[in-house]
Amino acid sequence: MEERKVKLEIKDMTKLYDNGDGVEHINLKVYEGEIVTFLGPSGCGKTTILRTIGGFLDVTSGDITVDGQSIVSLPPEKRPTAMVFQSYNLWPHMTIYENLAFGLKLRKIPKAEMDAAIKKHLALVSMSGTEKKYPGQLSGGQQQRIASARSLLLKPSLLLLDEPFSALDAKIRQQMREELKKIQSDLGITVIFVTHDQEEAMSLSHRIVVMNKGKFEQVGTPAEIYDNPKTLHVASFIGEMNFIKKGDKTIAVRPENVSVRAGSGDDLDGTVRTIMLLGHYVVLNVQCGENVVKCNVDRTLSDSLKIGDPVTLKFTKYSEFDTEAGFVPVGQ
Amino acid sequence: MSKKAKQMLVAYGLVIPAFMVVMLTVAYPILAAVIKSFQDPKTGEFTWANYTYFFTDPVQLKNLLYTLYVVIMTVVIAIVVAYLLALYLRFTKSKIAKTIGTLYLLPRFVPAMCAVYAMITIIRDSGLINRIGLLFGKDIHLGMMYHASGIITMNLWFNIPFAALMITAGLGAIPDSIIEGARDVGAGKFKTFTSMILPLSLKDVVVASTFVFMSNVGSFTTPYLMGGTSPKMLGIALFDQFNKYLAYNRSAALSVIMFLICSVSAFVYIYSNLKEKEWEK
Ligand SMILES: Nc1ncnc2c1ncn2[C@@H]1O[C@H](COP(=O)(O)OP(=O)(O)O)[C@@H](O)[C@H]1O
Ligand SMILES: [Mg+2]
Repeated sequence: MEERKVKLEIKDMTKLYDNGDGVEHINLKVYEGEIVTFLGPSGCGKTTILRTIGGFLDVTSGDITVDGQSIVSLPPEKRPTAMVFQSYNLWPHMTIYENLAFGLKLRKIPKAEMDAAIKKHLALVSMSGTEKKYPGQLSGGQQQRIASARSLLLKPSLLLLDEPFSALDAKIRQQMREELKKIQSDLGITVIFVTHDQEEAMSLSHRIVVMNKGKFEQVGTPAEIYDNPKTLHVASFIGEMNFIKKGDKTIAVRPENVSVRAGSGDDLDGTVRTIMLLGHYVVLNVQCGENVVKCNVDRTLSDSLKIGDPVTLKFTKYSEFDTEAGFVPVGQ
Repeated sequence: MSKKAKQMLVAYGLVIPAFMVVMLTVAYPILAAVIKSFQDPKTGEFTWANYTYFFTDPVQLKNLLYTLYVVIMTVVIAIVVAYLLALYLRFTKSKIAKTIGTLYLLPRFVPAMCAVYAMITIIRDSGLINRIGLLFGKDIHLGMMYHASGIITMNLWFNIPFAALMITAGLGAIPDSIIEGARDVGAGKFKTFTSMILPLSLKDVVVASTFVFMSNVGSFTTPYLMGGTSPKMLGIALFDQFNKYLAYNRSAALSVIMFLICSVSAFVYIYSNLKEKEWEK
């Protein structure tokens, strides 16, 4: 494996709030030029970790290093990080220009250079010409773009983004993701991205950290996490998944990994419950005892079937987990 | 009668009593006072004399300047102290801060007379501080009675809680994320204060200042009980003109002067409200 420089390292970090909530024993290495996403349901501790990196929360124990230097004792303004907050926090009493210029002025950048940089970054987020406006005169999505531009302008070596696109509508969101990916690879910065949207995490990240209840469940590339989920929670949180209970085991199989034929005798027998045409493929729901198994099949097969037909299913690829009492798959 | 006309009648019927009360008790006396202030006490003819008196007579001029001195000192000290207190309450999350946060308004609930007498027993030359000093063999004479410093101290007792209340509300409305954003891009504590916290709370500071200013220009109880014989604050001077010298025309002129002084701060208040609109909408 190629030699890669560690940009950020979190070492056995614990952050507990006074009420006992928080995250415990967090370990993670993020390499230079990587986009790593924290993915997990709301309240699992994503923002907490991000804020300890940015310097807005003190860690209870453990260490965080950037480029090998411990940063836990530094105030936010001394850290080489820039954060885009969940609530886009533009300064309401400053124009867009002043918002963007504030950090540059602190760095004593000459005016001409500053103006050019601001112009360039406004164009980058498609917000040219808004220099004289106040944040209150922009929509939420527009404010979010300005907030992103404000952080990017400072060329941080580590960019922290806390659900930056969650308030945007689907189309702009898609655009913003692509922009972010492009900007990241152009500038070569390291990005930590927080989201509860698995699709966003999959499309954006080099690696994903799947979180649940203050703990890391799995760290891996999108493909690793999609193909080999390590826990039931990961399996249910990412992509579509069928869960079939067999005694004390639960089989997790994706709809595209079920092959279907008329008749009986393979892994699981059942009857066709519904047939839905979704463009170039067909979703077949098969009733197998008390389970309903979703299968993606092609037109030639589905055209030969009708509701109530007996079919048999073969799992070409699946994961097996110990059945967890009280486990409810996310979003199913 | 049409339905609309009836509704109109009811509406006017409801408003007229309040309107009449205001006209009779506020508008009429003000108008009468303004007219009176321009009248010669004997002949009733138009004159500026009632006004020029207060700006040319050395004693009256001194009273005017003395009042401005006391009021401005009160405003400046009360606002600075209240701002520091409000900053502490906003950014400290300790138990002590919470306790202070609930107790600091208490002075407002003490009746003015009681508070003034209580203060007098502490600061007068034979008061509490003097007694404590004597225990340690020091005979302390603060000299605050019948002196501007005593009045200002008393004014602070009344006005700091009030100003702190207004400024605390203003600071409370500044979200943490605004401050965190500033720190994030590299601003230290001082820079964050000067470029975020101060501008975002300036309006509340101005409003608090104007209220403290206005309520102290015409103050009476404190200077009456604690003030000296000369110079006097305008409230006492007005009392003298009206009750001692029965100089009603001069009294009217002095009232108008005090009103005009207050209206300066009213103007500042309205102006600052208008100016804010630029980025608020
Ligand atoms: N300031 C705080 N004080 C106490 N508990 C908090 C605080 N902030 C967050 N929490 C709790 O910590 C947990 C993790 O919160 P957070 O990191 O904001 O989650 P996420 O960003 O993943 O939605 C939640 O249970 C939340 O209620
Ligand atoms: Mg969050």
